[in-house]
Amino acid sequence: MVMRILTTLLILGYSTAVLAQETKIKQDSVSTVLEEISMLVEKKKKIETEMKMAVSVDEFLASSEQISFIKRGAYAWEPMLNNMSTERSTLTIDGMHIFGACTDKMDPITSYVESNNLSTIDIKSGQEGGMHGSTIAGSIDLKRKTTAFGRSNPWAGGYQTGYEFNNKQFFNLANVSFSGKKLAGDASIAYREASNYKDGNNDEVKHSQYKKFNTSLGLAYKTSELSSVRLDAIFDVAKDVGFPALPMDLWLSRAIITSLSYKQLFEDQFIKVWDTKVYYNAIEHYMDDTTRPENLVHMDMPGWSTTYGLLSKANFKQGNYSSELQLNAYNNLSIAEMRMYPQDRTERTMFAYSWPWVTTTYAGLSLNNTVEFSEANRVNFGGSIGVNYNYSKYVDFNWIFHPGAPQEKTRFLPSLHANYEIDVNRFNFSIGAGYGHRAPSVSEAYGYYIYNSYDRYDYIGNPDLKNEISNEINASVGYKDQRFSLQAKVNYFYIKNYIIGRILSLGSPMNYQSVGVKGYTSLDYATLFNFALTADYHILDNLHWKGNVTYAKGQDNTKGNLPFIRPFSYNTALHYSYRDFGIQTSVHGDLKQRDFSPEYGESLTPSYTVWNASIDYTFYVNNFKAVVQVGAENLLNEYYSTYADWGNIPRMGRNIFTSFKINF
Amino acid sequence: MYFDIFCRIIQGDRTLELSNTAYLVGDKRNIFVFLLSKLLGVISNTIFFTTMRIFIWIVAMFMLTTACTIDKTDFESENNTVVPDDYEFKEVVSIDKGSYHIRVEALHGKLYKGYNEIRLRITEATTQAPIQEGKVTFLPVLTTLEGNKETCPNQYALTYDKAEEVYKGFSVFTQESTQGDWKITITMEDDNGTLTVSQPIAVEKQVNKNLNMTSFIGSDTESYLIALVAPLKPKVAENELVAAIYKLDSSNTAVGENDPTFKDKYVLAEDYTLLLDPRMPEPSMGNHSSPHNKDLVQKEDGFYYGIVNYTMTGNWTLNFILLNKAGLILKGTKVPTDFTPGVEGKKSELFIDTLF
Ligand SMILES: [Cu+2]
Repeated sequence: MVMRILTTLLILGYSTAVLAQETKIKQDSVSTVLEEISMLVEKKKKIETEMKMAVSVDEFLASSEQISFIKRGAYAWEPMLNNMSTERSTLTIDGMHIFGACTDKMDPITSYVESNNLSTIDIKSGQEGGMHGSTIAGSIDLKRKTTAFGRSNPWAGGYQTGYEFNNKQFFNLANVSFSGKKLAGDASIAYREASNYKDGNNDEVKHSQYKKFNTSLGLAYKTSELSSVRLDAIFDVAKDVGFPALPMDLWLSRAIITSLSYKQLFEDQFIKVWDTKVYYNAIEHYMDDTTRPENLVHMDMPGWSTTYGLLSKANFKQGNYSSELQLNAYNNLSIAEMRMYPQDRTERTMFAYSWPWVTTTYAGLSLNNTVEFSEANRVNFGGSIGVNYNYSKYVDFNWIFHPGAPQEKTRFLPSLHANYEIDVNRFNFSIGAGYGHRAPSVSEAYGYYIYNSYDRYDYIGNPDLKNEISNEINASVGYKDQRFSLQAKVNYFYIKNYIIGRILSLGSPMNYQSVGVKGYTSLDYATLFNFALTADYHILDNLHWKGNVTYAKGQDNTKGNLPFIRPFSYNTALHYSYRDFGIQTSVHGDLKQRDFSPEYGESLTPSYTVWNASIDYTFYVNNFKAVVQVGAENLLNEYYSTYADWGNIPRMGRNIFTSFKINF
Repeated sequence: MYFDIFCRIIQGDRTLELSNTAYLVGDKRNIFVFLLSKLLGVISNTIFFTTMRIFIWIVAMFMLTTACTIDKTDFESENNTVVPDDYEFKEVVSIDKGSYHIRVEALHGKLYKGYNEIRLRITEATTQAPIQEGKVTFLPVLTTLEGNKETCPNQYALTYDKAEEVYKGFSVFTQESTQGDWKITITMEDDNGTLTVSQPIAVEKQVNKNLNMTSFIGSDTESYLIALVAPLKPKVAENELVAAIYKLDSSNTAVGENDPTFKDKYVLAEDYTLLLDPRMPEPSMGNHSSPHNKDLVQKEDGFYYGIVNYTMTGNWTLNFILLNKAGLILKGTKVPTDFTPGVEGKKSELFIDTLF
């Protein structure tokens, strides 16, 4: 019997389920408990930007001044946090680890969700973001929608549709939620389809089309006054996705992301919430180069990534002390193959693994504490300890460049962080420091001839790379009054054993486009400095201005520039509302990229300015709120590409967009 | 397994329902049991059945996804597609002479042009008892189409392997049987004197390119022969490359097997160096090469040992330069090292093609 129960549990857990944390149980006897812990949870931001109410996940992330993007086309942008690429940050969905199945980074995790199944995105900078696993840059956690029990009207939903003229993008997004006394659920479905976009010269950017289908389901059941279980699943399919900056496109990518969670609340105890979840996700990714007749060699490059995980966290609070304790464990298997076809197809194909069946197992315990000395000043401190284990099944591949490298490697990944915040009248100040390790990514440690079309080198991983060690300080100063607020944030990272590709004098390229072989090596150190200034001013009750500027500098140990560091950038937006109309306009751009890095394949990117504007109108259909919006991005049809556009592909030219949204 | 539960759910199998009251919220010492009971509580609830269709949909989606759209490559069998996966020694021919039964064995039971490991099992015909520690010799002789007699690099005196009860040796057949008639002569000394048997054999075209050979005339006007001995079945890995290098002794004037020095026409090339530069000749591979290769040098057993790294499966060319003791080039040319996509790789004047 026990076996049967166990099997049932395992099947359910690993096959179908997902769990949700954040099962909101507001309007309930436990709301007070939740209020107590709400200070631990970041304020929720709606998934829309100032400019556009119907945005993709990427567009929404781009509205954060901490995020920049490497773009390889119109789809699946790679988010850079604090000017560091995805290896240095932890990207999670409700704390679940998911790893892309593409060696060319065509599929950051953000590409597997859709704006209508997310409630918010939680971005944490530096070691503060270490709760879900070891990190250097911070964490980006995509939070799914979870409907609370016992809402006054049990059914709610929304529907959004829109059309964007530049790339003929047509999208339909629908979501529905149910909230009963014992049962609550969320479901969403979305489909987007876009053709090639046109750049500022009205030239079509070939291979920039995409099709994306996404659906999600979450079901929560209240098992007692203070507990609930939740099952969640996301299923995402992307098909025929062009990557103009890469020599190949995506034929098909599919992801299933599932979890099963149990949440228990406690009244009048030191422990407030305990939330545990098991999860499973699987990704398959198949690239296609048959659409590129210019390619000399036909290649198949399939990739698979499967992850099992456990996440358990508890929140505690007593008096002025509160803390969160989190246990994270996961196991991932990453496989990527390449098979090259000779010109004479009767000849033998050529086969190799670009990820030779690499297993990563991680287990880590992290703790974050907050002590409030008074209303106006508090200290946060915490740390984590993680164990990271790698195993390369076909280690022979790794031995070609690193003879005798170990097949298995275990690393210990500690981290510590602290910060102090104080409010003085209308000013607030914070200062903090962090220290943390990270393990090399699968590509960095075990990658094999992974072609990077940016610098046109084949990259080879090194299993013996040392942990990357970050030392970080950060500070912020803010001012806030009723109409005006200003916030300045700086951080500085001194990263020991900074991992980067360096030209190898060994071997020769395998991919015909490449010019040489680079191996991942550790620089003695690298430094990164980020600065952001944001301001907000309610000029009138219905006139609102927002602006920000950012500056960053990254250097290696010889004072050479690091690649993909954003030049000075600015963004200014004005929003005016009049009766049921809203009008908004924004201007953003980057200055000339002075500090580019020729050593890592960068060339100088000139400055650019983009002007956007939109207007929306809110009305009611049978008491249901509806909004229509019309607007244009890149109104002046500027031809530009940014410092992080792979292969300097031009960005989209003028794009007129329309959308309609109704909530019921 | 999934299917099983799937069916039970469809049929509304209430055996999935279990009481969860046994573990009350207060009794949380065993978190796992607690969690389990809670989960089962949900499963047991009829609400679960009302949401069944969606659930089944998810299960279906899951099964769809776990069944990958494209199958992963079975890497273990990938290498078997062009290299025969048959390492067994099988009988080539059996000879009965006097009271002895001689069984000649080779890989696949066939002899091929190039290097062949030879095993002789000699038994007493009636008792089938193995003849141990005998003095056994083995000599192949080729009668060419023109009627000339030739021999080949060969281990004349076989070595007895006690554990396996076989006499071991090797022969590098220089021609296929289409170029003449091969005959082997085996001698064995016993108390009654020397027993000699001769047997015609067939030498076939080499099927495993990794055992290819080449013969040539060096800049010193001597005739040489290089035969690959190992690896039989290379891997995408660091492979130990073994070659046999022989020189035709121009001072040896023996013309037939009746001449006692005929067997020594090929002598091991001593203290030479074979420089190695492996590359993929396929035009799309643009003259691709690999790192950490090692030139071949002679070891005590007379063979030459080096390292070849194969970075992927497919066609490879081992480009060689043969140097003599004094470091003079006997044969071979340096090949371009630059990466030239779309152009078939240039080969050294001395090379052997492999494929796996
Ligand atoms: Cu890809």
